[in-house]
Amino acid sequence: MKFVLLWSDLLFFLLVAICIGGAWWAYRSPQLAASWRQVGASRSGVAAATVLVCFVLVALLDSVHYRERLPAQPGADAGATVQYAVEVKSALDALLSKQKTNTEKTYSAPLATHLFAKESRADGQGRDYPRLKFGGSHLADPALSEADVRERATFGLIAGLSIWGFLAFVIRRYAQPRAPWFAWNALIWTLAGIVVIVSVVLALMPYYHVFGTDKVGNDVLYLTLKSIRTALMIGTLTTLAMLPAALLLGILAGYKGGWIDDLIQYVYTVLNSIPGVLLIAAAILMMQVVIDAHPEWFATAAERADARLLSLCLIMGITSWTGLCRLLRAETLKLRELEFVQAARAFGVSGFSIMARHILPNVMHIVMISVVMDFSGLVLAEAVLSYVGIGVDPSTISFGTMINAARMELAREPMVWWSLISAFCFMFVLVLAANLFADVVRDAFDPRGRAA
Amino acid sequence: MLTYLIRRFLYALPILIGVNLLTFVLFFVVNTPDDMARMQLGAKRVTPEAIEKWKVERGYDKPLLWNAPAPGTDKVTNTIFFEKSLSMFAFEFGQADDGRDILNEIRTRMGPSLAIAIPVFILGLWSAISFALLLVFFRATYLDFAGVVLCVAMMSISSLFYIIGGQWLISKVWHLVPISGLGSGLDATRFLILPVVISVIGGLGGAARWYRTIFLEESNRDYVRTARAKGLSELAVLFRHVLKNAMIPILTGVVVVIPSLFLGSLLIESFFGIPGLGSYTIDAINAQDFAVVRAMVFIGSVLYIVGLWLTDISYTLVDPRIRLS
Amino acid sequence: MSALNSKPLLRVNHLSVQIGAGRPVDDVSFEIKPGETFALLGESGCGKSMTALAVMRLLPPAARLTAGGVTYGDEELLALTEAEMRAVRGGGIGMIFQEPATSLNPVMSIGRQIEEVLDLHLGLRGGPARQRARELLEAVGLPEAERRLDEYPFQLSGGMKQRAMIAMALAGEPELLIADEPTTALDVTLQAQVLDLLKELQLERGMGMLLITHDLGVVERMADHVGVMYAGQLVEVAPREQFFANPAHPYSRKLFAALPERAGRGQRLATIPGLVPALDVKHTGCRFTPRCSEALDHCGNTLPEWFGMAGAQQVRCHLFDPQQVGLNTVIMSAPTALVEEPRVASSGPLLEVRDLQVHFPIRKGLLQRTVGHVPAVDGISFSLAAGRTLALVGESGCGKTTAGKAILQLIAPTGGSVTLGGQEITGLTGAALQPLRAQAQMVFQDPFSSLNPRLRIGAIIAEGMQALGQTENMAERIAELLEQVGLRADMATRYPHEFSGGQRQRIAIARALAVNPKLLICDEPTSALDVSVQAQIINLLHDLQQKLGLAYLFITHNMAVVDYLADEVAVMYKGRIVEYGSADDVLAHPQHAYTQTLLAAAFSPLRGAA
Repeated sequence: MKFVLLWSDLLFFLLVAICIGGAWWAYRSPQLAASWRQVGASRSGVAAATVLVCFVLVALLDSVHYRERLPAQPGADAGATVQYAVEVKSALDALLSKQKTNTEKTYSAPLATHLFAKESRADGQGRDYPRLKFGGSHLADPALSEADVRERATFGLIAGLSIWGFLAFVIRRYAQPRAPWFAWNALIWTLAGIVVIVSVVLALMPYYHVFGTDKVGNDVLYLTLKSIRTALMIGTLTTLAMLPAALLLGILAGYKGGWIDDLIQYVYTVLNSIPGVLLIAAAILMMQVVIDAHPEWFATAAERADARLLSLCLIMGITSWTGLCRLLRAETLKLRELEFVQAARAFGVSGFSIMARHILPNVMHIVMISVVMDFSGLVLAEAVLSYVGIGVDPSTISFGTMINAARMELAREPMVWWSLISAFCFMFVLVLAANLFADVVRDAFDPRGRAA
Repeated sequence: MLTYLIRRFLYALPILIGVNLLTFVLFFVVNTPDDMARMQLGAKRVTPEAIEKWKVERGYDKPLLWNAPAPGTDKVTNTIFFEKSLSMFAFEFGQADDGRDILNEIRTRMGPSLAIAIPVFILGLWSAISFALLLVFFRATYLDFAGVVLCVAMMSISSLFYIIGGQWLISKVWHLVPISGLGSGLDATRFLILPVVISVIGGLGGAARWYRTIFLEESNRDYVRTARAKGLSELAVLFRHVLKNAMIPILTGVVVVIPSLFLGSLLIESFFGIPGLGSYTIDAINAQDFAVVRAMVFIGSVLYIVGLWLTDISYTLVDPRIRLS
Repeated sequence: MSALNSKPLLRVNHLSVQIGAGRPVDDVSFEIKPGETFALLGESGCGKSMTALAVMRLLPPAARLTAGGVTYGDEELLALTEAEMRAVRGGGIGMIFQEPATSLNPVMSIGRQIEEVLDLHLGLRGGPARQRARELLEAVGLPEAERRLDEYPFQLSGGMKQRAMIAMALAGEPELLIADEPTTALDVTLQAQVLDLLKELQLERGMGMLLITHDLGVVERMADHVGVMYAGQLVEVAPREQFFANPAHPYSRKLFAALPERAGRGQRLATIPGLVPALDVKHTGCRFTPRCSEALDHCGNTLPEWFGMAGAQQVRCHLFDPQQVGLNTVIMSAPTALVEEPRVASSGPLLEVRDLQVHFPIRKGLLQRTVGHVPAVDGISFSLAAGRTLALVGESGCGKTTAGKAILQLIAPTGGSVTLGGQEITGLTGAALQPLRAQAQMVFQDPFSSLNPRLRIGAIIAEGMQALGQTENMAERIAELLEQVGLRADMATRYPHEFSGGQRQRIAIARALAVNPKLLICDEPTSALDVSVQAQIINLLHDLQQKLGLAYLFITHNMAVVDYLADEVAVMYKGRIVEYGSADDVLAHPQHAYTQTLLAAAFSPLRGAA
């Protein structure tokens, strides 16, 4: 087995590391700690954060990539170079290997034992719904599937409830007394939902396609879980891509003023004036040409798809940094006139130190707020862009590609609703959690909000 | 004030030049016309002759910036930059890959786009402001709280689902209106109702929540306290004092998009099969028709800049501080 | 007073307001008769504005009225429906707010804002309303009333805005006017005019007035009765004459003693130790106990009752309990004299300013060309010797702050020269300026924005030392500096938000002193502070000057502070110095008309008595 570190993995791990580092920094600075404490005390904030953490865990699992070692060629001597599979897999793929490998022929409904479409029978006796290769294949008599599902789901439910009970007990007994201000109730009840759903799904997963299969027979649950990483990547890496530029230029424009300000304002007005979708479309089309022109850059298809994902993040970053840049510029203009900046100038402190010591820490709350506020918008944008055909690589699994593939299914008779509904549910929960979390963070960090 | 408006207008020129340069760099410098030809023609048919033919058909065979062998002013004019980029200032966009004149196409497709975009804009603004005012009137009550939760939930749904769900529910389950296409004359309204309603609902959550924040911020100001101390009723305070002041930040976000209404909506038009500029753009993107995308980028930014200018004008109407200084 | 026997116009009975766990207004009772002015006096955060808002039933949503009543005429205001209450607001009771700049609707013309009230309470509309609005503007002394009707607030100056605000409050012909710090945001000369106007209008209309202020001078000028508030409670109520002749409550007496004009030069100002208690503290006894120098054993746990004194004076203090005979004669200890050490022998001026000019360009037209200049500082000259204090006095916008910043080269001067310690510093930049930065430092006005909230106190003080390379023994120096300004050395690890305004100002002073300057430019260092805290800072500045031989360029608008601190005075008006001389000369015999106006306007409650 050989680990593969895709660029997006690296950046994503980096981002998680930054978050952990930032948390440590916040812990040491009392104002930030107080603001985070306010987030922790808010019930909707804690509930949303719990859901988000679950999504991040899935994405992290899906970011540990490796290439399997191929069995040595028979007859090859021991010294021969080890061969690795071309396909790049992730830890999530390994966990869901049953779902990944056991594809059906075409559509099947959630928990079904038969295909959704009739086919000519093997014995030539008319047309019938054939049995699934995987879903319910352990049953001798498919008619028993309903009872079987019920039994397994009940088992999952009971297991889930007991795990949850244990967790709740541990939290109440050990964690709650240490930080009584924290909204533990919200955490416990959110966990209840998550743990129960996850264990029911886990109980059924080894035997059924829990969310059904799509047109080419892929397990919808697998697709949905894989989409999470793409969504989180787009939502976070885009911000990471734009942050340095927005911070540097915004603060520089606000603090230095004069022609530097004029130039920076000019640049962002130009970028702003091109409708976002069109700029992204133009840039992605061009990127496509570049990627196609240089196939030698990419060792595997995964790397190529990854390059496309990153370039999408970068391009969306370029189109979206202007908003943050403008906010930072305005705030810096205000801070520049404040007396502590004047006092530093009276000591002859250099412009760079003033920006780094006095301005940057005092605009970080704006960065913080806009990062969490932008996240949900970016996740939604990915879906639209992928639908338009200028989003992620068509081979990358994402909510956008899923919806794109599924959108005509509602028109089928009878209707195929499951892939659309599962994409909808996961995306809705993710974006709703992000929005709620963003609201709480904004209330906690925005000094204007606190006065009201 | 007039000099202010003229100055803002002149300010637009360098921005348009910037956009023009940017698109030129993006389309002709990042990738050479050869690259584009190779991609368009597909791997199989790539021969030097085919590439050359493709370039000549589109006029991409000329030098980028400087045509050294050409005589006189042709040194400058007989180049890709002059013919493809600078000519956009005269609204000459050339031909699309299917041979049709782009400007002509844009003219005929503007109508259907506007037929959707204008009602969406007006209804959307009206409903979002009314909803936000309602929430502010009942601020700090459960009604307000429920309203905000509803807004956040509505914001969290992808516009794709609004369209797909709306189409399915109204056209397929209830059979109320046709799913897609566009009729002519009065008949068109039948086709337009659904896309308009879906767009308005899809945008309502985010807009209403944003306006609510603005209204709340305004209603915490000192002059609102003064107005209450005069004995004005809460409704009078809201409509006469808060709304008028809140219009200033609202205008910033709203007026700027008015000219861009011409571009129509990408998603709605393509889902509902409406032959407007939005679906034109999507088709061009899917067909990788660079000339059309370039033209739309340029028109988009022209419209945006007109929007900025309109915003300035609208400020002078609403804010006496700008009008009178 | 003729109205003395008539029935009260407004009666506030045991009013209490609750916000969360805190009680910003606790058991407050007073009454106002027609034609009479009742002044609520207190420092910031004592609950006086909250009391006024409670009377109008305009409390912020978080605040609740928990007890008590408000009777206006014969009506119990707290029992009215919201619609009935609206008729009282603006009709029966008019209100003026502190900040005229933000209290008027910026996008509505002055005329419309007044006509709105006329329509609502008098049913006047159209022509008659406009006519009446014009009369009102004329009545409040706004010149060119007809034109002003169509103007917007941003076109009026601060004083004019406050006049328009008063016109608006009067439009409904109220019987009672609530004025919440009506002159605090205005310059001294305007303050006098606006107060005179209020007094005139009150006489004309026989209105009652509830005046809310922190300024003893305003109280003396305006009030018939005074109520002193401390931490949400009224602690003393008295007719004005009695209050000024014999303030009874220890807090009231300290307020008087803390005024710079009370102590002569060279004497320490009396200060009130400690801080106003936080809102959410539960009190069992008298709230002033921890800061009271005469507190008795039971003061901390028994709430005193009201004790009557001579006349109508009433005080809420155990010292005046008739059963505690003999104690109520306690008199403030006399101010202690400062030991005047011989001033440092001055060897020529430390700071010499010649024809300093700062002009800001005015840009206009299509290309934003510079078409003219605003002379913010228009050729000022003065000199300051080591160890001396020069007060630069003037009203807002006269250019005094700009001058201070230009001397430190924070703003590039457009002309003139500044020599510091014999060296010309105008035109120097970057490294060449560094040695001079150590000689002159600045203390700013607003203690809340002068410290970076994200840095620890130690880092804030160290900043100058690091920037100027004075990094030896930094930790010890910081500890020493903190102690020097009256703070504890261990506070270096804390963050600014943990400190009160006065403490922050001490930190700002320590920061400036860290680089051993010879000159401190103090830009209104006390104007954002309450009287009692102001006294602490002034004492500190005074001590530091004695000890370190500092020279101060003291930028201020407060004549009392000038009188107390300054050796020399320069009066600035519209960017120029109109009068310059020794403090004694200028204050006793002002020559320039503007100086005379300034001095006349700066009413001091004790000037006559002292």
